[in-house]
Amino acid sequence: MLSRSIYKVPQGKLLKISLTYDENTNMISQVRITGDFFAYPEEAIELLEKELKNSVLEREYLIKKIRSIIKKYNIQFIGIDAEGLTQAIVMCKP
Amino acid sequence: MSEQWRLLLTGGNTAFVNMAVDRAILVTHSEGKVPPTVRFYSWVPPAISIGYFQSLTEEVDIDACKKFGVDYVRRITGGGAVFHDKELTYSIVISEMHSSIPKNILKSYARICNALIRGLQELGIRGTYAPINDIVVDGKKISGNAQTRKINTVLQHGTILLDVDVDKMFSLLKVPNEKIKDKMITDVKQRVTSLHHVLDTSIGFDQVAAAMKTGFEDEFRVTLVEGTLTDEEIMHAKRFEKEYFSSFHWNHRR
Repeated sequence: MLSRSIYKVPQGKLLKISLTYDENTNMISQVRITGDFFAYPEEAIELLEKELKNSVLEREYLIKKIRSIIKKYNIQFIGIDAEGLTQAIVMCKP
Repeated sequence: MSEQWRLLLTGGNTAFVNMAVDRAILVTHSEGKVPPTVRFYSWVPPAISIGYFQSLTEEVDIDACKKFGVDYVRRITGGGAVFHDKELTYSIVISEMHSSIPKNILKSYARICNALIRGLQELGIRGTYAPINDIVVDGKKISGNAQTRKINTVLQHGTILLDVDVDKMFSLLKVPNEKIKDKMITDVKQRVTSLHHVLDTSIGFDQVAAAMKTGFEDEFRVTLVEGTLTDEEIMHAKRFEKEYFSSFHWNHRR
């Protein structure tokens, strides 16, 4: 199932998520994170998208996963954060 | 004697050339081959630039751009979509290790924006840095800025609006919800200003560039010496223009 969300991070930037996931297993098969935020290094966003494949579409799981990816690749976000990203992704689920 | 940085006045170029030149300076400076560089430029024809993380087709009405002869390009910096028409665009390229550049990214935005604020002061305008990446006058945005850091080098570029046509801008950009487009246009008109509006008279690119040159010199206590792109920078720029900024693959990558 393909689903989208738009989420304005409080005091931050706009996140637009395009998500494909399996409704039965609740597993993410593809996620695309777009928006007017900043990330350093920029290319890390593609790594984040790749690492989120096969993740469970569930808030607690995702926030831990995103925090660990941020740490792993030493990503610095400006205008968004792990909580905002998680919220935007979870919002894709009706 | 103060440190000398290079000043480039490259005039009007296409979106593809402009973004390629900024990247070429970044690469060449990272190799220690050129001094820290401040560039002032404009966009011919007018163009939309989108942030690195934005989706081209979600942000830009490509058919409208074609109809109005407006170029579009993806930047290497994050941030939002910008309609570059009547404005002065600047870029600064400087090593991350330079003592004038805070290691903290937000602090470095503030430091570089302060050069622009000093430039505005030269024009008799009181601007304020509005984090994350704006400068406002009387609470209205007059400048947007975006920074990347690659190969230990900072590239920040941004705009100073000489004049603004919000209706034209929205005819080229897509909005998430067409039903609220009119309200968004009204909101943006209330939140954005320009030198023309603030000064109540039109002002030329050269006059603003001269003020901004002073702003950068005062903020960083340097002398900006007018120079030209090196042959190597021109070569890099030609390659980046072809391989990245004018390519379908780059502009449609998200």
